[in-house]
Amino acid sequence: MSNSKIDIVSIVESKLKDKVQIQLGQLGNAAVNTSNGLHRDVVKVMLEADEKTAIVAITGLDLGANLGLLYHLRTSNAFITIRAEVPKDNPKIQTIVDLIPGAAFSELEVADLLGVVFEGNPSSGHFLLSEQWPEGIFPLRKDVKANEVKLNPPPPEGARTPEIGRQVKIIIGPQHPALLEPEKFAVTVDGEIVTKVEPRLGYVHRGIEKASESRTYLQDVYLVERICGICNACHAYGFVGTVEKILKTDVPPRAKYLRVVTLELNRLHSHLLTLGHAGLEIGYETLFQYFWRDREPIMDLIELTSGNRVYSSLMTVGGVRRDIRDTDIPRIKTTLEELRKKLPFYRQIYTNEASIKARMQNVGVLSRSDAIKLGMVGPVARASGYDIDVRKDEPYEAYGEIPFKEIVYTEGDTWARMNVRMDEVEESINIIDYALDHLPTGPFRIDAPRNVPIGEAVCRLEAPRGELFYYIKSNGTANPDRVKVRTPTFANLPSFLKTAIGESIADVPPNFVSLDPCFSCTDR
Amino acid sequence: MTNTTTWARVKSPWVLHFNSGACNGCDIEIVALLTPKYDVERFGVKLEPSPRHADVLLVTGCVTQQCAERLKRIYDQMPQPKFVVAIGACACSGGVFDGNYNVVGGVDKVIPVTAYIPGCPPRPEAILDGVVKLLNALNPPKQKKQKQLEPPKETKPVVSEPEVIVPSQEAKPVIEETKTNVKQ
Repeated sequence: MSNSKIDIVSIVESKLKDKVQIQLGQLGNAAVNTSNGLHRDVVKVMLEADEKTAIVAITGLDLGANLGLLYHLRTSNAFITIRAEVPKDNPKIQTIVDLIPGAAFSELEVADLLGVVFEGNPSSGHFLLSEQWPEGIFPLRKDVKANEVKLNPPPPEGARTPEIGRQVKIIIGPQHPALLEPEKFAVTVDGEIVTKVEPRLGYVHRGIEKASESRTYLQDVYLVERICGICNACHAYGFVGTVEKILKTDVPPRAKYLRVVTLELNRLHSHLLTLGHAGLEIGYETLFQYFWRDREPIMDLIELTSGNRVYSSLMTVGGVRRDIRDTDIPRIKTTLEELRKKLPFYRQIYTNEASIKARMQNVGVLSRSDAIKLGMVGPVARASGYDIDVRKDEPYEAYGEIPFKEIVYTEGDTWARMNVRMDEVEESINIIDYALDHLPTGPFRIDAPRNVPIGEAVCRLEAPRGELFYYIKSNGTANPDRVKVRTPTFANLPSFLKTAIGESIADVPPNFVSLDPCFSCTDR
Repeated sequence: MTNTTTWARVKSPWVLHFNSGACNGCDIEIVALLTPKYDVERFGVKLEPSPRHADVLLVTGCVTQQCAERLKRIYDQMPQPKFVVAIGACACSGGVFDGNYNVVGGVDKVIPVTAYIPGCPPRPEAILDGVVKLLNALNPPKQKKQKQLEPPKETKPVVSEPEVIVPSQEAKPVIEETKTNVKQ
């Protein structure tokens, strides 16, 4: 990779030397402090220097008199945070959507929860909050007692405006057989061709970010784990990894390997789930039943290593809560070996089966440049030839020591996205095998200090659905000051909204499920 | 006629699953029920996509403000008699999310609940056990001459004043009655 030599920090420093302050090593590789709308200039410089520059998240903070904004950006080899502030009584800032289209959802979220007005990206109605939520009250502001807010009465069920002309609006959700979770998509069709997709998020918004501010760090591990029941170990790791960065503690080597085993088991069951679910969405129910049958042994392994089928609750600050018994290792390896033997059959189905090809090839094609612009992550990005994988780019825990392949396809369609996952299943088995063979001896946990000092940190990891991002700010008390989570589906959703347009309404389900959408993650 | 419909309902209850703001943990376990290892279809249980054809509503999740209205509407669309099963700690009481600003907390604050299955998430075996218990309550073995479980009649108004329904409230009288029967 030729791009990996770009030193983005020094480029920003040389071009905007007098205007911005750069704090090296903070919130990623560097934090850039800006004022008076200069955040746009920094973004422009970064985009010119590195074509892979993409937005990860925008964190909104309540700093008392001001509202703080942290733009977290990722380049090919670095992670930069741009700080900006706006006064609370006039919280206006210029949008960056014209520079990076992928920032649209992040800005809408900050606008809805914290009341920042992004000029150039007008929000219409609530983004995550309920329609009955009163205007002008923003739950993430510290002075708002959010659970005392009185909701507006529900709007009367008015007559729907009749559709005029050829265009027909089809409402998918919030209760719909194709969706396991409540979320609404208003799909406008002209004949059979989709012309517009309007999402309405927030049906699963439980206010976890605000709730975590009123719980201790230890309690929060269990709370953030319940953001998502599928990738729960990833959320727990994201939280404890960030807290460990603030504490500046290092976990013992054995804990690092055990964490990798847990995270990869998580990925295995998640990918098998999606590969099966995709079969269900295209009417191939046999495939669904087969995949879910073979997923059950993995669930048994999660239960074997953690004591619970779904919530492993294994991560804790300073290591893991349970060790793997030596006597269990042969059973884990045999189970994985049995799964590995079945993979050629599944791969042959996903590559050669006529019905899969007919329903998935050339459906929802996303080009590499669009994937970068919209900030795609995980298998969706890798299927479009955009080679990002946090495990490779910024190895955490034991991933730097374990050899594995980064799966990249270039087709960019639904078929490629499912095949990326198919190949990753095998890589995950290899990783677990290697980790169990090279499991270091020694303690699996250290006693981390209970008191978290004042500070802030970010943490990125590769969840099954892509890059998961955590930001935590501590104020020296028992509870965190702010916890921000940017989940992979939140980043990947714009892909569906873009690629569904111009395709047949029948292609919506396979295209949609190829994102492996998880709305409990998206809404938090 | 009642006997026939009860027989049909117990032999093949059609269930509708609604996620009212769950974390996916319970939902995936419900889907796992349909798959070869647990195979709930051997009890005649069929997952039904439309509320208008469903006998049993399986609700997961802590009921977010945005879902409360929809949950009630789905319940109203179901034909009588209908039964609601709250699956998971969140659906039973709000669970870990109770007290959050966007959370109503508990299915029974919006619609009447027939059976509660706690757990975070409950294992598929537990869900299976709960569903089978509900079916047994609908059609008790004949020699015992138990009263049939009355389906809930009226929909309660949404939220505002939370009303606490004690779990297994309906189950109690059935058990007591059995005891008295034995004495006689």
